[in-house]
Amino acid sequence: MADNGLGEFDRRSAIGGGLVLAALVGTPLWIWGKARQGEKGEATEDQRRMIDTVSDLVIPRTDTPGASDVGVGDFVVLALNHGLDGTREPAAGAAIQGGGPAPTPRGGLYLLDDLAIMLRIKAGGDFNRATPAAQRAALTAIDTRAFAPGNDKDPWHKIKDLILTGYYTSEAGGSKELQYELVPGRWDPDVPLKPSDRAFSSDWTAVEFG
Amino acid sequence: MMQEFDAIVVGSGITGGWSAKELTQAGLKVLMIERGRDIEHGTGYKTETLAPWELPFRGMGDAERYWAEYPVQSMNRHFNEFTEHHFVNDRENPYAVPEGKDFNWWRSYQMGGRSLTWGRQCYRWSDYDFGANKADGHGLDWPIRYADLAPWYDRVEDFIGVSGAAEGLAALPDGRFQPPMALNVVEQHCRDVFMDKFPDRRLTVGRTANLTEAKEGRSKCQYRSICARGCSYGAYFSTQSSTLPAAKATGNLTVITDSVVEGVDHDPVTGRATGVRYLDVKTGKRGTATARLVFLNAGAFNSNHILLRSTSERFPNGLANSSGVLGTHIMDHATTLSGIAMMPGFETHTSYGNRPTGIVVPRFRNLDQQDGSGFTRGYSFQGGALQSTWTAGKRAAGLGVDYKESLRHPGPWRMIFVTFAESLPRATNRLTLDRAKTDPHGAPVLNIAFEHGANEHAALADAKGQAKVMLEAAGGHVFLGFDQPGAGGSAIHEMGGARMGNDPAESVLDKWNRAHDVPNLFVTDGAAMSSSACQNPSLTYMALTARACANAVSMLREGTI
Repeated sequence: MADNGLGEFDRRSAIGGGLVLAALVGTPLWIWGKARQGEKGEATEDQRRMIDTVSDLVIPRTDTPGASDVGVGDFVVLALNHGLDGTREPAAGAAIQGGGPAPTPRGGLYLLDDLAIMLRIKAGGDFNRATPAAQRAALTAIDTRAFAPGNDKDPWHKIKDLILTGYYTSEAGGSKELQYELVPGRWDPDVPLKPSDRAFSSDWTAVEFG
Repeated sequence: MMQEFDAIVVGSGITGGWSAKELTQAGLKVLMIERGRDIEHGTGYKTETLAPWELPFRGMGDAERYWAEYPVQSMNRHFNEFTEHHFVNDRENPYAVPEGKDFNWWRSYQMGGRSLTWGRQCYRWSDYDFGANKADGHGLDWPIRYADLAPWYDRVEDFIGVSGAAEGLAALPDGRFQPPMALNVVEQHCRDVFMDKFPDRRLTVGRTANLTEAKEGRSKCQYRSICARGCSYGAYFSTQSSTLPAAKATGNLTVITDSVVEGVDHDPVTGRATGVRYLDVKTGKRGTATARLVFLNAGAFNSNHILLRSTSERFPNGLANSSGVLGTHIMDHATTLSGIAMMPGFETHTSYGNRPTGIVVPRFRNLDQQDGSGFTRGYSFQGGALQSTWTAGKRAAGLGVDYKESLRHPGPWRMIFVTFAESLPRATNRLTLDRAKTDPHGAPVLNIAFEHGANEHAALADAKGQAKVMLEAAGGHVFLGFDQPGAGGSAIHEMGGARMGNDPAESVLDKWNRAHDVPNLFVTDGAAMSSSACQNPSLTYMALTARACANAVSMLREGTI
């Protein structure tokens, strides 16, 4: 990519001129996603670098692998492209018969567009080239805002959900960071819980309702 | 006329398997016809042992494909990447609903039907339930009472294996149980509190068709709680684990899969059903089979569908429909999440293993006293106590090492109450053939007109209030609760349409699940229900099936059928 000071995404948004405005005035981003559905259904290289960095900021490497070690960024892109977790459109409840609107080539990738914009704003420039401290500060600001009261619809929620899903359903996340037991073989209804005990990623009820 | 079989059983799900077992064990030559593909017990459960990281979408599945192919089925909480092949493709299996109404028709077309995916909860009905229509005038009085069905509940429970605790409650009769699975520490606490503060309300472990003791070639439960993938241990009741091997062992069973029954043939001279017509969906060829008895076990709404499609000069509005009530008075249960509470005080406790059942608080409203506000009949709570895991991180601000550490450990306990409220039988809730819309085989699809009424809404409003009162009495902090039901079908307890009754002018089936109009035609799945109670209905379907089979065999031997 030519280094013109703008990433591929930013150049397009500057040309389109609408996305930053949309993010600021609150026009639902999925509408912009629909407007751009004829475009190639992939994340840009810059966005892939961004999501790798972001996922590691959420789940860093410790005594167990971190998010990018297990390819969480790839999962997030795949998941968005296929609209997992209701990311293709808001309130993606299916129509009773005949399904909903036709899938869009970019699926939920518009959420990455939004994240790129917000990170650029918070980092005061290209997020991918910012210092680790600035990257952390930018994402912390976004995360803090999203979890403030009334911000349930903030697009960051879906990205964060998918980062967690990508990590804890990976082999390392599910069976090293947490415990995975396919065949417990018994039911112990009341056992002592020590502070060091790890949760089970194979506790399907907890995964669904916890 | 020479019949090929003594009996034809349409469908291989929970009741079809029971019909096949009971009739073959009585010595009858039986043909069982299943519209879906075969699935072998054990080897056919392709995803049973897979981990999330072994699936392309980590167990969540491809939402884009679901949107296009499974828009209804994918709303079912049991539908995911591990189980999607156990549900129908909506695009290939359309149905219709009236403008402005919804119905979630969740289906499994395959050997074993929904016995592979069911919730396994097994509850007897009581005379509060069988007497309800007569007592309050909604619907038509049942032609049977609890005493008629009790020995058949015994027979079914003995065979399928139901674990549960005897409680001595009039509203939820005890059965022949295997040892119960234990309550966890929070559930036990709630039970103790309720016994003290609400003497009319009992929390007990969900009575479930999961084995706690091995029996007849089936292992006991391994506490995985991934039943809907299929269980090669045979630890829960399914056609594959239980009734099918029993029927096959007699040498009297013939099975055809991938074949949709398009109609029941009727001889106007004899007045009897002669057999069925079916379409082989793989070859596109049509065939017929003849028998002395026909049992419809296609699933409640599909048994209605077959009868509605089986028209003739004698029965222009559907076979066995001289009353005109066929397809009417369909029901489900009105269900919603009535309350979730944080349950502090148990931070040093956890559990091990995945118990494949929750808890139940049986109906306590409108029993001997009419104490429901604005509603008749009742509801029960199901649910349980659980701890959170990594998914709790979706609700939590934070990044980095501390955040990761916080998700490493089991989270706080919470208790969930989900309500199942009785659905009143109403003539306006009904099934019809939609001649404007056809399925890929050219058949008119089923039109499902259904809505919950004021009674159901009032019951759910009461349930939300009582859930809060009870959970708070147990020390819980309720943070969420709803009082609006999901769309019809959301309980996956759709039933009725060919109701039982004593009067042929007002009902389709007699007290033996036999069509008033056609003496050798039986319908023993959920279509037969005259009311819905608020219990999960499958155990009652099985008991009705076993009872009907025994009676049909007796009549056949006596030459009265």
